[in-house]
Amino acid sequence: MSSGTTQAVASQVVGAPAQAPGLAPADTGPAPIEVVNAMVAYDGRPVLRSVSFTAPKGKLVGIVGPNGAGKSTLLKAILGLVRLDSGTVRVFGLPLKNIRRRVAYVPQTEAVDWDFPVTAMDVVLMGSYAGLGLFGRPGVKQRTEAQVALEQVGMTDFADRHIRRLSGGQQQRVFLARALCQQADILLLDEPFAGVDAATEQAIFDLMDRLTAEGKTLIVVNHDLSVLDRFDLLMLLNQQIVAFGPTEHVATDENLRLTYGGRLSLLERADTTLQHAGPEMQ
Amino acid sequence: MVEVLAQVEMDWSQWLVPFTERWWQETVCSALVGVACGVLGCFVVLRRMALIGDALAHAVLPGVVIAFMLTRNSGIVGLLLGALFAGLATAVLVNLVSRYSRTKEDSSIGIVFTALFALGIVLISALPRGLHFDLKCFLFGDPLAVGTADLWMMVVIAPAVVLIVTLLYHPLKISSFDPVVAAAMGLPVLLLHYLLMGMLSATVVAGLKTTGVILVVAMVITPASAAYQLTNRFWVMLSLAGLFGALSAALGMSVAFVTNAPTGPAMVLVAAGLFALAVLLSPSHGVVFDRIRRRRLNQHIQSEDVLKAVYRLTEAGTPCTVETVASDASMGLGRVRSMIDRLRTQGMMTADSARVGLTSQGEAHAIEMIRSHRLWESYLVERAQLDVSAVHAAAERLEHAHGLADEVDEQLGHPRFDPQGKPIPPRKG
Repeated sequence: MSSGTTQAVASQVVGAPAQAPGLAPADTGPAPIEVVNAMVAYDGRPVLRSVSFTAPKGKLVGIVGPNGAGKSTLLKAILGLVRLDSGTVRVFGLPLKNIRRRVAYVPQTEAVDWDFPVTAMDVVLMGSYAGLGLFGRPGVKQRTEAQVALEQVGMTDFADRHIRRLSGGQQQRVFLARALCQQADILLLDEPFAGVDAATEQAIFDLMDRLTAEGKTLIVVNHDLSVLDRFDLLMLLNQQIVAFGPTEHVATDENLRLTYGGRLSLLERADTTLQHAGPEMQ
Repeated sequence: MVEVLAQVEMDWSQWLVPFTERWWQETVCSALVGVACGVLGCFVVLRRMALIGDALAHAVLPGVVIAFMLTRNSGIVGLLLGALFAGLATAVLVNLVSRYSRTKEDSSIGIVFTALFALGIVLISALPRGLHFDLKCFLFGDPLAVGTADLWMMVVIAPAVVLIVTLLYHPLKISSFDPVVAAAMGLPVLLLHYLLMGMLSATVVAGLKTTGVILVVAMVITPASAAYQLTNRFWVMLSLAGLFGALSAALGMSVAFVTNAPTGPAMVLVAAGLFALAVLLSPSHGVVFDRIRRRRLNQHIQSEDVLKAVYRLTEAGTPCTVETVASDASMGLGRVRSMIDRLRTQGMMTADSARVGLTSQGEAHAIEMIRSHRLWESYLVERAQLDVSAVHAAAERLEHAHGLADEVDEQLGHPRFDPQGKPIPPRKG
């Protein structure tokens, strides 16, 4: 526990832009995210099986895979929103519930109610709620942090605009700013490039590069296979990890074919057999 | 003599009968409940739970009846506890049914509340002899049945709701807007949901005797929906909804007493009237202002089209009459005439009975339009990769955004010709 506290302090310092490489003690500390043997099933049907990986500090990690591969489920499992049937998730070496605040989530934009009466600034400020608890209220400090976050994503001029009146790329940037305002060290993004034009996609990637340079760890679920080379590390996922590692090693035709082609039919058949066989499956 | 005086006084006070102290008390208390209904209604509306508001109102029946059975009177503490219990049971049951069956949430709500309501009715018929439960009062409300204890309940519950919402404003806001992220932050999203449901049941019970089960949901969703029309800020919506709720209750009470109508329906009608006004008159989402804005834009576009037509015709040497302009701009004659009048008063056009022409100001504006049109065409071809033949129609619309022409010009690097090879007029000045 005490090492975790030191970690937290160190990382707050690291959060500032000027970080001398190699100086940060966090580099030698526990990995930002360590997933060991994670297994998730819905209605007895496995969605993720024996997923194990470590996301190192200051890296941009991409997760790619076909629909239903469990990409969003993996993010939600890391966030503790989906119960693991077995396995563990550790964040900076600690169970998630001790350290929730340092993990921020940027949901899919289609999951957002764009008619909710909030402005861009309101949304960003919500990031600060993570540190405020139930009865806390955002004050001057939180407002300044929200301003800074808006500035980082280049949305200062739109602070008072209703979220419905922002373009797709601007909406995405506002939600990124909320994650920044949370002062998180780990950002989990679900399809941040959906409905975003090429120029904005570029701008968001640039922003992500800046964040990783500051020592933040980003995990991005992505659909578009044409931008894989922008990720430092790549995970090919189809219920289990097909390949994980530096993008140039992982993004091979063979691996992609394995991920997207023939969908593990033997394993699926094995599951059906087991489900019919009896309750020992659960 | 004394007798006569007394008689006169009696007659006089008859006019004041509605506005007795009792009436004032009821009005103030109903207004308080109106505030609570409006504030909670915002959450109901934004979380799309209108059906569950209705469900809670119906489902409190078995709770109320059981409390009535146990306490053998309609003492409010018992009723309130019974209703709270039933309300929470509804929320939990709905949650369980939609989680553990294939049934989606709306149907789950339907199943749970009808079942509980039916249970309540069966329980009423099973009440021991001598114990009478007034189902009609429960369904339609009865202001005469409102006792001092009920008034006290309203006075306590309404401010308590407002206080809780104020204290938990931020967590309630984020868990309504983005429950997944709120949960990821570690906020007790489900608990907050049950808290809202609990407050809603309590409020519904407080308002029950005045409005009745069937109409009480209107006091929850109508003022909040009216507020939703008028603002893009959450706290403004909450305040407005509270205000509208109070207004509906107080006005409804007054109208009911003056016209001798039942109070509950009168309140609901006032609320619906406020909602209709909000839909019509909201500056940003309202029908009326939207019409006006669209009409203005249309006029702007049409007058610019006429201007351009006159310029084109003059350039080609064709005589400019109302008829030729109308055919060039493909607009009706009447329309063209009124646009010409408009442009004349703006000093852009000269027109007598036979011919129309442009003033120098009008000509400058027409050139600006053509510049804008050609720049937008270039932009569409170059940046949006549209086919040259497809861009004209789009540019016809975009050219009216001529305020942006300079920016387009800048971005394209000051092109001199449009995709069809026509010259783009240089920036004036």
